[in-house]
Amino acid sequence: MTISLPVILAVSAVMFGLGVYGALTLNNAIRVLMCIELVLNSVNINLIAFSRYISPDPARGQVFSIFVMTVAAAEAAVGLAIILLIAKRRSHIDIERINLLKW
Amino acid sequence: MTVTDWVFLVAAAATLVGAWRVVMSQKIMHAALWLGFTFIGVAAIFLILGADFLAAAQILVYVGAITTIIIFGIMLSAVEDLRGPVEGSIWQRFFSQFATPRKGIFALLAGAGFAVLMMILYTQSSWPAAPGPEVLNTPRLIGEALFRRFVVPFEVASVILLVAFLGAIVLTTREEESK
Repeated sequence: MTISLPVILAVSAVMFGLGVYGALTLNNAIRVLMCIELVLNSVNINLIAFSRYISPDPARGQVFSIFVMTVAAAEAAVGLAIILLIAKRRSHIDIERINLLKW
Repeated sequence: MTVTDWVFLVAAAATLVGAWRVVMSQKIMHAALWLGFTFIGVAAIFLILGADFLAAAQILVYVGAITTIIIFGIMLSAVEDLRGPVEGSIWQRFFSQFATPRKGIFALLAGAGFAVLMMILYTQSSWPAAPGPEVLNTPRLIGEALFRRFVVPFEVASVILLVAFLGAIVLTTREEESK
């Protein structure tokens, strides 16, 4: 057996599902950020697998996943800065109790 | 099964176990360390798929920078609530699912439902059986693509990074000045 494309895609789909489940259920804001990183990583696996198996241009999927990494780094930096600010002001980061914008 | 298949199976299993532990660990520090483990597994999958430059970038950016930033974030905030076991154990969470559907059955549907749906989709469509020819010299190809065809998105991405880091610095220092 050689590694077939659906197996790789299934691994990435399971990882995506775990990330979505964690981001929806966890209470700690930093944990939610970690789960979003999982989701972005699984998308990267998909992009590279498609670029290896299907794309006529070998570098295209890899370039796309570099852009995904850039956005993930920016998101982690800004997200953690916001979370640290909230932790300073309210002395907790429980997203159920951060209800300033909840109506 | 060839050696590559075994390596892929081990890397995929490590990645999935790591992702499971990120979601299910009770302590946030354990989740952060398992996140780094997951990123290393993903880098191994990249290597098997022939994306050597991206595997190196994955180790540098995710394991080296993002995991460290998250651990710094946990360390820098002296909030006990942030470090302690805020999340319940797996069984506590499993039973509390029936109490609040928004955190339980709906989230389960969104996560597991998506994964199952995609797998059904994958098994029903036809895929090329073998990968394309081995791509050599990927850094050169990526560099040419970045600076020729994708030069505008590349510059936009660098501006996004600059703005994000400036924003992070401004957000965290403004608070201290106002005190």
